[in-house]
Amino acid sequence: MANPLALTGTVAAVLYLGFIGLPLVALVARAVGADGFLDGVTSEMAAQALRLSAMTSAISLVVIILVGTPFAYVLARRRSRAYQVLDSLVELPIVLPPVVIGVALLMAFGRRGVLGPGLALAGISIPFTTTAVVLAQVIIAGPFYIRAAKLGFQAVQPDLEDVSQTLGVSPWGTFWRVTVPMAWPALVGGAGLALARALSEFGATIMFAGNFPGRTQTMPLAIMSAMEVNLASALALSILLLVISMVILGALAIVARVQGDKR
Amino acid sequence: MTLCGQVGLSLGTFKLDINWNVSPNSVLVLFGPSGSGKTMTLRSIAGLVRPQTGHVEVNGHVVCDTATGVWVPPHQRNLGYLPQEYHLFPHLDVEANVGYGLRGTPATARRTRVAELLRTFQIEGLGKRSVRDLSGGQQQRVALARALASDPQALLLDEPFSSLDAELRRELRRELRAFLRAAHIPVVLVTHDREDALALGDVVQVIDRGRSLAQGDPLQVLGQPGQGRVARLVGVENLLPLRVERCYSADGTMVCVGRGPQPGLRLEVPLADCREGELVTVGLRASDIILAEEEPRHSSARNRLPGVVTRVETRPPGHEVFLDCGGATLCCRITGSSLTEMGIRPGQPLWAVFKASSCFLVQD
Repeated sequence: MANPLALTGTVAAVLYLGFIGLPLVALVARAVGADGFLDGVTSEMAAQALRLSAMTSAISLVVIILVGTPFAYVLARRRSRAYQVLDSLVELPIVLPPVVIGVALLMAFGRRGVLGPGLALAGISIPFTTTAVVLAQVIIAGPFYIRAAKLGFQAVQPDLEDVSQTLGVSPWGTFWRVTVPMAWPALVGGAGLALARALSEFGATIMFAGNFPGRTQTMPLAIMSAMEVNLASALALSILLLVISMVILGALAIVARVQGDKR
Repeated sequence: MTLCGQVGLSLGTFKLDINWNVSPNSVLVLFGPSGSGKTMTLRSIAGLVRPQTGHVEVNGHVVCDTATGVWVPPHQRNLGYLPQEYHLFPHLDVEANVGYGLRGTPATARRTRVAELLRTFQIEGLGKRSVRDLSGGQQQRVALARALASDPQALLLDEPFSSLDAELRRELRRELRAFLRAAHIPVVLVTHDREDALALGDVVQVIDRGRSLAQGDPLQVLGQPGQGRVARLVGVENLLPLRVERCYSADGTMVCVGRGPQPGLRLEVPLADCREGELVTVGLRASDIILAEEEPRHSSARNRLPGVVTRVETRPPGHEVFLDCGGATLCCRITGSSLTEMGIRPGQPLWAVFKASSCFLVQD
């Protein structure tokens, strides 16, 4: 420990981990000891919120992957000015407060929003529906996947795709047989991150979709509602979300490990 | 099977206009410095670059014609292509790399074909190996096997030795030559290395700044190039500005001297269609000059010039000795053993000896 930088680093690491760890430990300790914890976990509210969260974030993830994958590929390959601007715009939702995005979504799709009257004529109303939950999640979580996928695609040399084509494989075939397998760890990592972000979405959802049990009340919103009534059930819901997050984190670590072995 | 065509392309200030014609079972070398457009020409043939104007024919079949709008995409051209550094698929093992282009064929036929290719290229034991664990030479063989798996109509190679060291290059040149001969298809090979061109080419085409400068037998084009730009590109070490003093038609030679007021150099070179007094540039390869400590009086060599060593440079394999001969500098190439045996060092007086026929006229 002669190196002062290493010493400082170790102290900082201990402090930081303690800072993250203490609230989590406190949460678990309080939750397990609380009366009505099990009731909270098995309550109808929890089941409903969990179902809605799982469904909306799964749909969001599918939409993000379907649209984000080709988009990320184009971002990775094009070098023009316009694409560089687009590249930074894509990441805007990462730095914007989610509440602002919620307000912006209302201004676009709300009853008096830009598209509102048109949608109303078609008999469609988006705000405060499950669709609104999905839209909020897509806009908030999408950039995490697109950014990871773009970096993954950039790491695949275009020469490899060229060779594949000269070997008689079409551009689409090449994408599936060379580009996607080589970028796979980045794609899975990005998808995991986007899924986690969609599950934890709160600000934009409450603004744009509201907090209606069974319709727009996802897990984070349910925790807030529960907190106003009964601490034990809020704790129970928090623990559920914590476990889900840790499962996603663990899955990401395993994917990273498997990839590490292949190299 | 033949391969011929022409492509034109302009990118900013760079203009490419090249045509080529490769006869069956022969190797055309596109020789030129980096940025000359040779790789772009190769990629146009493969269909990886779309020329602005052009016509590409593979075995009588038009795959690109900008006038009539014909465009066959690269995956339908059936041309074998080896990019620089081979670009094997890192996520696949050797077998899967070799069999990559055989997706359409039944599994058993594919396995048989892959096994046959591994045998041809003497990499039988490596089938399950990751391509990351291969040596440079093994990578080249896998890349060749992969490119030839679906019996392409022609083979396109881009700097096949660029990622290998000099010694391995020499060894693999002979091997590649044999593989190319056995393939029985037209081959286009891009290189900036003179040795590659001499060892592998049946025909060489010199390219500079997007244009063809010369074409023909590699030994002739690269050994005694007749054009100044070609001579500089292929690295003719001595380009001497001289004046024709006297023509001797009986001997088939002429005497040329330095252009300055004092003659300085005095060379006997092969007779050409020149008037006495005409200014000429004479090319002479450094490796065609013999160095001697004393004047070799009883020798058939027509040129014996006294000089003083100004400097010695190491240029593997061998050394370049610079000799000041009456104001003009001659670059001479010798081996390491000659250098040590003769104890050559700057300031030493030496004789430069070479035949008249080693000299050639270069047009600017």
